[in-house]
Amino acid sequence: MLGGGQPIIVLNQNTKRESGRKVQLQNINAGKMIADVIRTCLGPRSMLKMLMDPMGGVVMTNDGNAILREITVQHPAAKHMIEIARTQDEEVGDGTSSVVILAGEMLAVAEQYLEQNMHPLIIIQAYRQALDHALEALKDTLSVPIDINDDTQMTEVIKSCIGTKFLGQYGDLACGMALRAVRTVATTDESGRREIDVKKWARIEKIPGGAIEESCVLDGIMINKDVTHAKMSRKVENPRIILLDCPLEYKKGESQTSVEMTAETDFTRLLQIEEEHVKELCADILALRPDVVITEKGVSDLAQHYLVKAGVTCLRRVKKSDNNRLARACGATICNRTEELKESDVGTQAGLFEVKKIGDEYFTFITKCQDPKACTVLLRGPSKDILNEVERNLQDALGVARNLALEPRLVPGGGAVDMAVSNFLQQKAKGVSGVRQWPYSALAQALEVIPRTLAQNCGANIIRVLTALRAKHASGATSWGVDGEMGELADMNKLKIWEPLAVKEQVYKTAVETAVLLLRIDDIVSGSKKAKDGGEGARLPLTWEAWNKRGNLPKNIVH
Amino acid sequence: MTAESVLSIQGKRSSGTPVRTENVIAASSVANIVKSSLGPVGLDKMIVDDVGDVTVTNDGATILKLLEVEHPAARVLVELAQLQDEEVGDGTTSVVIIAAELLKVADELVKQKIHPTSIIAGYKLACKEACRYIQNNLTMNTDELGRDCIVAAAKTSMSSKVISIDSDFFANMVVDAAMAVRTSDGKGGYKYPIKAVNILKAHGRSATESAIINGYALNCTVASHAMTKKITNAKIACLDFSLNKEKMKLGIQVLVNDPAKLEAIRQREADITKERIEKILKAGANVILTTGGIDDLCLKYFVEAGAMAVRRCKKSDLKRIAKATGATFLTTLCNLEGEESFEPTYLGEAAEVTQERVCDDELILIKGTSARTASSLILRGPNDFYCDEMERSLHDALCVVKRVLESSSIVCGGGSVEAALSVYLESFATSLSSREQLAIGAFAQSLLLKDATDLVPKLRAYHHSSQIKTEHSQLKYYGLDLIEGQVRDNKKVGVFEPTLSKLKQLKFATEAAITILRIDDMIKLEQEPSKESGYQQALKSGQLG
Repeated sequence: MLGGGQPIIVLNQNTKRESGRKVQLQNINAGKMIADVIRTCLGPRSMLKMLMDPMGGVVMTNDGNAILREITVQHPAAKHMIEIARTQDEEVGDGTSSVVILAGEMLAVAEQYLEQNMHPLIIIQAYRQALDHALEALKDTLSVPIDINDDTQMTEVIKSCIGTKFLGQYGDLACGMALRAVRTVATTDESGRREIDVKKWARIEKIPGGAIEESCVLDGIMINKDVTHAKMSRKVENPRIILLDCPLEYKKGESQTSVEMTAETDFTRLLQIEEEHVKELCADILALRPDVVITEKGVSDLAQHYLVKAGVTCLRRVKKSDNNRLARACGATICNRTEELKESDVGTQAGLFEVKKIGDEYFTFITKCQDPKACTVLLRGPSKDILNEVERNLQDALGVARNLALEPRLVPGGGAVDMAVSNFLQQKAKGVSGVRQWPYSALAQALEVIPRTLAQNCGANIIRVLTALRAKHASGATSWGVDGEMGELADMNKLKIWEPLAVKEQVYKTAVETAVLLLRIDDIVSGSKKAKDGGEGARLPLTWEAWNKRGNLPKNIVH
Repeated sequence: MTAESVLSIQGKRSSGTPVRTENVIAASSVANIVKSSLGPVGLDKMIVDDVGDVTVTNDGATILKLLEVEHPAARVLVELAQLQDEEVGDGTTSVVIIAAELLKVADELVKQKIHPTSIIAGYKLACKEACRYIQNNLTMNTDELGRDCIVAAAKTSMSSKVISIDSDFFANMVVDAAMAVRTSDGKGGYKYPIKAVNILKAHGRSATESAIINGYALNCTVASHAMTKKITNAKIACLDFSLNKEKMKLGIQVLVNDPAKLEAIRQREADITKERIEKILKAGANVILTTGGIDDLCLKYFVEAGAMAVRRCKKSDLKRIAKATGATFLTTLCNLEGEESFEPTYLGEAAEVTQERVCDDELILIKGTSARTASSLILRGPNDFYCDEMERSLHDALCVVKRVLESSSIVCGGGSVEAALSVYLESFATSLSSREQLAIGAFAQSLLLKDATDLVPKLRAYHHSSQIKTEHSQLKYYGLDLIEGQVRDNKKVGVFEPTLSKLKQLKFATEAAITILRIDDMIKLEQEPSKESGYQQALKSGQLG
């Protein structure tokens, strides 16, 4: 026998290798599995999931991305699926459940062709071709433009997005908030480029207690801080605000210095200098007659004393990001050295400075700003978990509003557009030559998963609804979809359920490309790199015998 | 076979035929691993490490690097792939497969009692002859074929990769990027330092929305939100020091007698940096890039001057930017007189510097650099794994484009060169009288490893007639079309590879095969039994007690 009967070990004994059909089917299964987890989270009749992490923390959500982030998976292909939800969330902020379900379905429909020995590359080519056609159809024929300045239209779209979420019960309120927050932070720079950075300029603050209806978008900023000194005034109208990022206390130099004192008075002098320094700082500030001083660093008792005496309110240790938002909202410039303060650095656009007590905490409100470019979204609700879910919903709504402001085109929701694209592709498929035709039409079929899941989640008769929908679309009614509440067919134009085009496009692109990547894999090697212990001893060593047993023997080696 | 007691050390020794066979089997199993990733219908591998990180790739060198091969002979092949990757950048899979095939046929010959040294001599001769034949007969000049053939070469390199479907798009992108970094080498030729092509990855959107940027993309953001996000006619200063509060080096102490002077020192600390910034701004700089930090207290000066300051840039990035914009990369402001100064000549120029939002990140783009053009590729894809694989594929393609442009000679791909060589070497072998004949024959045989049983003879027939009859010389460009499973003229279709890549593949594979063939004895030392550290041993033996 070979090598004197000894197995020839080529790879590290700890690695496990699987290849061929088995791997492809495994990947497909992993993809389907992840899609199944998310499936019930789609549509207006979706349910929340409660997730518990090992530390005992609880997350309640029906946001696809939030669910997938919490669950830990072993299979590498499943990890891909989880990643795409994240990508979708970062890029457009909505449609995270749809993208995972769609990618899972695209893998599932490929399975039968792999079993029929079709080369994965042919399937992939067909998929890419279908994607291009689908995107064309979306852009050219199925989408309609929208006027972003029309409040009612915008509200409708945002409403249909958060209709599926917990916040859906408070539709009008949430839509108003999302729209207002996005309008507030939208800026256009000199070159006409629109910039909407919701993450940076619109902060969502959650305060447990009160009712959800009390949530609102402030025309200014709220920070979770109280004034530093009890005697400072807690309400100032039309305040002059100075923002600092330096401490109002004596700070030693950074170089290592020592003082050799010879005279007795030297020591008192040293202490005096410190006091004088603080006094100077305060004098510089007071010269500009501010009403409110806010700093990112500390404020010493002495400085507080001077400020109180001059009737100035002072807040300390605010966050850098809060300070930046404050600067945008009230028109101040953040200053570091007090001696360089100028009149132009003072913020005067705020209308009201007020410290309120909510629950047992103090909150500072700087509101009634003229033309604020940053804002705080204040959320109230019964408990922390619910507030967290409301925040996630609002993030999605913000995402939708932002996407619309950037690309004002809509497609009908409720699975209508998916059905329309599917129908379009089925017809195109007839013109595709060769074997490719089958996977091409399979992709069209896969798109039906969205209306199907919608129908499923509201307990409708799936087959009846879907066939009826297909018939509708075949007769050219492209705006018909599934009413996720009732499980009946409905014209989405009438129901006013819309989705932004950007979200749908991204869903298709990501789903297809992920399916492509996973279908290309024919070999999985796991456990490479130094495996530190033999804990996973059950792994098969890649020996000659082991190969032999699994029938993976290289064909062209002569015994 | 194993003679343990003879050796003074603990270990196993095996020699003769079993060793050789073992080596050959090890080599071919390595080749088998990568075999399915060769060619346009090749598929990818997914590699999971023990932490659970996933890599999806089609690149031979990357697969083998991550596989952790243990067998010594197999390791030679892994290193071979690495070498090809460094030298050429592409063809890593092919080189491993050729080397393994060479070994396999050599093993057959050894079994027929031909001494390995004659095989080695034959292989060397055959390799030399093959290289000569490629250079004389099979190469084409890119100048006569134009840009199309460079794009085609890039496309060929991508054809097996995940981006193959969009290869038209990416090939043009790669060629543009390579053209943009063209620099003269001072001898009338041009160099294409592809390292200067900056590749950034951002997930989101679709692969086809990847973009080439005529300029340099920097993965940083401006230091303060208050700064302007766009500057036209930028004057760029590249600094390699922090604009922080000046601080004495560790261990230096200042001793003062007068308490008032302490205050002065403190004041001075803040002022030194301020003066520096003023010097830089005075020279006209409006974009300041530094590898170090910028203190919050200094940001205001930049904001007020309407300048853009970026901190914590990567040093390598800054060096390239300095080159591209004509700026001087400064490590200090000191001049020869011991004073600090900043000359306007230190500044680089660019038409536009902007901060743009890509995905969830902000990037700084430097466009229209003055001294030299630069280019950056921003790759988009559904997730990080996809982007990583795209980067690897594009890197390979860039290498190919670079080789083609620098050597301006290409050969046909798709097995056409191999078939031609095989036919040529077989006829060459018959003209020799020595025993090397067999080895050369074997060499020729092993070049035809690409499967598809019915196609290969047809291909050979074409090449044979092309070499015999002059009127059929066009047939020498015929190769395989593996998607349709036909034989076709690869010159017409545009399947090209750089000559250099092919030559290096042959040379490296032959060398590796020879190295492994020469082995006839293997000694494997056993691991030292004691796993405890010296300290534990000492503790046990009571030395510390």
